[in-house]
Amino acid sequence: MPELPELNPVIHGKLRLALLSLLSGVEKAEFTWLRAKTGSTDGNLGAQLLKLEEAGYVAVEKKFVQRKPQTLYRMTDQGREALTGYVRALKQLLGAAIEA
Amino acid sequence: MAVSIEEQELKSRLNLIENMISEGRRSTENWGWMFVFWGVAYYIAIAWATWGHSSLAWPVTMIVASLLAAVLASRKAQRSPATTMGRAIGAVWIGVGISMFVVLMSLAFSGRYEPHTFIAIIGGMLGGANATSSIILKWKMQFGCAVVWWAAAIVGCVGTETQGSIAFLAALFVCQILFGIYGMIGNSHRRSAHPEGAAHA
Repeated sequence: MPELPELNPVIHGKLRLALLSLLSGVEKAEFTWLRAKTGSTDGNLGAQLLKLEEAGYVAVEKKFVQRKPQTLYRMTDQGREALTGYVRALKQLLGAAIEA
Repeated sequence: MAVSIEEQELKSRLNLIENMISEGRRSTENWGWMFVFWGVAYYIAIAWATWGHSSLAWPVTMIVASLLAAVLASRKAQRSPATTMGRAIGAVWIGVGISMFVVLMSLAFSGRYEPHTFIAIIGGMLGGANATSSIILKWKMQFGCAVVWWAAAIVGCVGTETQGSIAFLAALFVCQILFGIYGMIGNSHRRSAHPEGAAHA
């Protein structure tokens, strides 16, 4: 029996997984949009985004629009590869769970 | 680790990924108001030109509407994420809008403006923009709008001035006002079916 893959722990957290999935469908997104879509609190969202940033899965861009600060996040190539790998591993595990 | 994870949990992760990806993509679809906005702008220009007998009606209305649309769209864009599809659709409409403005204004200033040409150009260009947009979005209803605009363009070319004007006003009502309202209603239904934050990660 082939060895089952391990799930990437950085992505496995539900909020981090939701964030990466959201960012995979857009070029970049603002912090407030991500908060609205996930229903998360500012503190938790900021902490999880920081973990993704530290892993190199998201890149941050800060700027001012009409004198208001805006924080934009985008998924990096590394993040896209990680999410693809995570989905592949998930499907493999699901297949194994169904067969068992 | 892997074998201890419940099948249910794995499925919920896959569902979460699917839901979030579609959430991100859905954010590009809320532009019904823009169709209504431009439909109303056209009607204002037509009414002003017809009853006000002013040669300034079209250029002034179109310039004011363009500026207003740009401000409203940029405010909306700040709240929504940037997507490749959104940029592609935006590029089509901005390109067509500029082309229409440049061609029609040049005709007006050269004194070569005449109603048949006006209807044919607007019908042809808006038909093209709707068709391109509908193909990108895979939205058959919008392709129907393209057909209606092309039909108006044909009537503008082969029909009388009255027939062309009626075809133009009908296309405007169907493809801008009705289609725009349809898009807005569809978007509000989607929002109520998938409220923001429902994914509670």
